[in-house]
Amino acid sequence: MFFFDFFQGADRQGGYMSFRIALFLSMVAISLVPGYVINGLTYGEYKKLLKSDERDQLLWSAQGGKKSLEVCVEECKSVVRFISMDYTFEELLDQDVASELFARIRAEYEGIVDLGVIDSDGIQRTYAGPYRLRGYDYSEQDWYHKILARRMYVSNVFMGYRKVPHFVIAVTNKLPDKEEYWVLRVTIDVKKLEDAISGIAVKEVRDIFLVDEDGVLQTASTLHGKVLGQYPNFSLPGSKKDGVITVLEESKGGHEMLQATIAVEDTPWFLVLVKEGYVHGKEWETFLRRLRILFVISFVVVLVVVYQLVNSLTDRLMDAEQKRQAILTEVEHSSKLASVGRLAAGVAHEINNPLAVINQKAGLMSDLLELSDDFGQKEKFQKSIDGIQGGVERCKKITHRLLGFARRMDVSLEQIDINDLLREVLGFLEKEALYSRIDIDLSLDEALPAIVSDRGQLQQIFLNILNNGIDAIGHDGAMLLETRQSGPEMIEVLIKDNGPGMTPDVMRHVFDPFFTTKNAGEGTGLGLSITYGLVKKLGGTIEIDSEVDVGTVFTVSLPLEQTHEAGEENG
Amino acid sequence: MDKIKVLIVDDEVEFATAVAERLEIRNFFAEVVDCGRDALLSLESSVPDIVLLDLKMPDMSGLEVLKKIKEMHPEVEVIMLTGHGSAASGLSGKELGAFDYMMKPVDFGELVETIKLAYKKQQRATTAD
Repeated sequence: MFFFDFFQGADRQGGYMSFRIALFLSMVAISLVPGYVINGLTYGEYKKLLKSDERDQLLWSAQGGKKSLEVCVEECKSVVRFISMDYTFEELLDQDVASELFARIRAEYEGIVDLGVIDSDGIQRTYAGPYRLRGYDYSEQDWYHKILARRMYVSNVFMGYRKVPHFVIAVTNKLPDKEEYWVLRVTIDVKKLEDAISGIAVKEVRDIFLVDEDGVLQTASTLHGKVLGQYPNFSLPGSKKDGVITVLEESKGGHEMLQATIAVEDTPWFLVLVKEGYVHGKEWETFLRRLRILFVISFVVVLVVVYQLVNSLTDRLMDAEQKRQAILTEVEHSSKLASVGRLAAGVAHEINNPLAVINQKAGLMSDLLELSDDFGQKEKFQKSIDGIQGGVERCKKITHRLLGFARRMDVSLEQIDINDLLREVLGFLEKEALYSRIDIDLSLDEALPAIVSDRGQLQQIFLNILNNGIDAIGHDGAMLLETRQSGPEMIEVLIKDNGPGMTPDVMRHVFDPFFTTKNAGEGTGLGLSITYGLVKKLGGTIEIDSEVDVGTVFTVSLPLEQTHEAGEENG
Repeated sequence: MDKIKVLIVDDEVEFATAVAERLEIRNFFAEVVDCGRDALLSLESSVPDIVLLDLKMPDMSGLEVLKKIKEMHPEVEVIMLTGHGSAASGLSGKELGAFDYMMKPVDFGELVETIKLAYKKQQRATTAD
């Protein structure tokens, strides 16, 4: 287009590019940063919440487990207590009574291995159970001494004579009328404890077992082996009755193992629960996945929206700048035309008077020559006079065009059918086109509305452009005239030729006065300049699009009505 | 038929005399004055049929002279001549009663034709009276 060279400058383009990038980045930052900060905070808070929640849960589980273990132990204790209260030492010394009692208890309470009555000397006087332990001397055994110190005793788990892990619940009773004590002892299989433990439901628990105060496993552990093995991570919970949480291991990914330790009351045991952090848990994974999806979606959405926004913004800016440049150039062009016009008019006027003198004098000479008799050089005189008159004729054409260019002409408005007008103009050029073997085709929109404009000036406009095209083609070529309505109030006339086209440099200057690509003396360089001025005066625009070796398109846009006072001022 | 009487008013004397001589060759009666005042003076002594009047003269403008001529002798047809491309002054000349306006340098043939047309118009007007 005519204003094609705006924004071609690398600086300007680069300036807009960096503006675009800066705007884009800052807008993305503004819209993403708050969201991501909130996201980050939520992430941290949620993680903290989950952590404390899982600790609380683990503690609750431990407390619950402890309770059920206490219940289990209490049940065994009450059996032993009941027997010791219901039977006398003497009755129990009777092996039959003891055996029958044992059989009854066994049927009722699972996990009871055997039952024994030990006298004050530490000798097992009665024994009911699967082993042959009657008469065993317990006086040297550690637990026997502990029993004597307490009324009710629950032992650690140990192998003992039976070679099966078990623990003992014993009750000490005073012999009537003596300062001596006898002991009722019940051995219980560790399985009883293990069953109780397996009843403790803890979500995602890795390990749950009992240890004694030295860290010796009292029930089997999934991670640390069988009963009576050593549990390495044990530490006493201290005085805390509700249990404590210790973190066993923590690695960079947030993997951690939590351990809850709680003392089981009135027993030598501590219940230990080992569990992985929730970070591995499904809830955490889901949360992270949602967070990530949200992150990505918001990023993409912001990117797209900001991209569109920045694009339309910079486009508008560029557009405005382009328009500003276009107006500036047009103003510059118009004022150039105006000053050149005034100069041209002045020169033309000054020259016209002496030209008129030369013209009339030469005419007079010619007249006189015709009236005089023949003389030797008459013919040569006549030829010289013709030469002078020819010269004057050429000068006259130039001065008239100059004046026409500068003239303030009144516009006479009338309804004009542009299609008819174009056919009319083509009529003037038919012979010239035929002679140069140039085909001129018409593609006219017959529904084109009539416009209100100046006939003479329109003729001049199209004559100039068509002449220009014919001159540009030279010979053997084609031109196409097209009309169409380009808007509610505008029509367009396109004049296309397949001539040699123009370089961008030529295109820039094509409407400048006195700019011509023709040889000296062949063109005044005013044709298109005048055309430009005329189109402007009629409230229209003229644009040119050209490509070297392809051709040129002139687009003349004209308003349907003359809105401004046409012909008010013209340079 | 009487010779058509033409008064040429132009400060460019060489132009005026050349035109006058050429008109005489073509059987017109031509007189030359070089300023507006002389033109009006000459009009007092003898009334021409046609006046060729330059628009731009040193003492008074062609339009003023035209007005005065039309006041004195409305039947005289005036053809304006101008070296300037101003159609506006030509047109205002026409409004003031000039027969036509022509741009310098005029084609002599055209000038003669215009003079004849102006004369015909004048003759029609006078016979109609």
